[in-house]
Amino acid sequence: MISTIAYGLTIGAILYIISIGLSLTFGTMRIVNFAHALVYTVGAYALVSSLSFFGGAFIPAAIFAVLVVIPLAYIIERFVIRRLYGQSIDYAIIATYAVLLIGVDACKWVWGATPISVSDPIGAAWTIMGVDLPIYRLVIIVLSLVVFAALELFFRRTVVGKVVVAGLEDKEATRSLGINVDKYFSFVFILRICLAALGGALYVPITSLHLQVLLLSFAVVITL
Amino acid sequence: MQISTINTVKKYDLILVTAAFLLLAPLLTMQRTTDFMIFCVFVLAYDLIYGYMGRLSFGHMLYLGVGAYAAALSAEHFSANPFLALFVAILAGGAVGLLLGPIIVRTTGACFALINLAFNQVGYFLAVIALAEWTGGEDGMSAFYDPVWIFDFGNSNVMFGFTLFCLVCVVYLVRRLTSSPFGILLRTIKENETRAKFLGYNTFLYKLLAFVLSTSLAAFAGALTMLNYTYATPSFIDPTRSVEVIFACLIGGAGNVYGALVGGVGYMILSNYLPNYIQRWEMFLGMALLVLVFKFQSGIWGYFSTLIMARKKEVKA
Repeated sequence: MISTIAYGLTIGAILYIISIGLSLTFGTMRIVNFAHALVYTVGAYALVSSLSFFGGAFIPAAIFAVLVVIPLAYIIERFVIRRLYGQSIDYAIIATYAVLLIGVDACKWVWGATPISVSDPIGAAWTIMGVDLPIYRLVIIVLSLVVFAALELFFRRTVVGKVVVAGLEDKEATRSLGINVDKYFSFVFILRICLAALGGALYVPITSLHLQVLLLSFAVVITL
Repeated sequence: MQISTINTVKKYDLILVTAAFLLLAPLLTMQRTTDFMIFCVFVLAYDLIYGYMGRLSFGHMLYLGVGAYAAALSAEHFSANPFLALFVAILAGGAVGLLLGPIIVRTTGACFALINLAFNQVGYFLAVIALAEWTGGEDGMSAFYDPVWIFDFGNSNVMFGFTLFCLVCVVYLVRRLTSSPFGILLRTIKENETRAKFLGYNTFLYKLLAFVLSTSLAAFAGALTMLNYTYATPSFIDPTRSVEVIFACLIGGAGNVYGALVGGVGYMILSNYLPNYIQRWEMFLGMALLVLVFKFQSGIWGYFSTLIMARKKEVKA
């Protein structure tokens, strides 16, 4: 019972981290972005590769994975998504799905189609009432709470966050105040890419799935 | 091309379609052409929803899969009559459409695409895990059909002839439907649903009807696949394959009967022959989709028909 709750909470925490990025995309661009799943997948694979590079140290490898994904996401944004403004939403869905197809195939090319498993970076477990809970899972839950608190603070207390919220609410009006909304939106873009890649990197030691997670995170965003 | 030629082409289109597929058969082998024609039926079913009604579905494999499994289950539990299997499959497709339609057709745009995807995922789960006892799970199921009179579907010539006949019937049906007032109303819904409502039409009913027609036709295509291969596997209901039919619709040109046929054949030729030469086939598919979306939205048929139209204007001038 306790372990079921803890395991469910872990997956929920990761889904939160991934889909908060997705819901930011929905807000800034009004686009269903299948390419978000690609960012997540590449984040996961980048972690696998950088783990061996950093000699198994998980935290620098995860940071590296998150950073590596940003230029890739920028290319997708610049050459595909930016061209989709003003097009019908159907084309946006198809085009971002096409990006997903290309990217997933490229991942198979680079890393192979066989699932790669990564061992639990902490390894230790904590025993509560006779149930073993891996500490790594607890760390994920805590981390998602930290992300939540940080985003909440960011959007409510900082000027940048408030500008972003205002821009989401009414882009034209915010612009007329002399604020360069696009500059702030590009910051949001980097933020959501980092979050998606972080979600991917965190998920690797637990399991390996891609489209399923995308579906779940869409479900999360749409029921919001 | 002259206007009169275009009209003649339209008049004899069923004969021309038959002739085109009869010509394809010796070129590509009969089994392949049968496959192509079944896929064309599926593309036509999809085009009714996407091309004419303007709703992008990302989970149409569900209805194909329902048809295939219904045909297989009918052979296992009722009788080995292939026509009964086809009938049961169409009924099953229609029933699923009627059941899910009232929920699905209320939505538009991204929601429509994703809710279909979600139901497709549910169907896939049911076929692979929850109902594995009946559907055979990952292994799929096979069924054999008795020959009825001259219709022995184990014989590839008979299968070819019957599929061709079915395809021509479906082409006629879809063309007739889409040029009727009902079809015009569907296009009105695509352009502006509020106005159609304002004119006093109950758009919900028409959308539901179009959706049920589309699901039944897709199930029919699934049942034909089942007759052709005599086995059904979870790949028939796999949501990740839904992109194939969208792609076919786009290369042919959405919202046109002949476009759907050109797209179906074009996609099948690509997917059958390209993997022999290009290993990274999915990547190629993705890039082709991007090119279609950005540069070539009207598809092959749309491109040629605008060319002909331009020519026509020149002649007039």
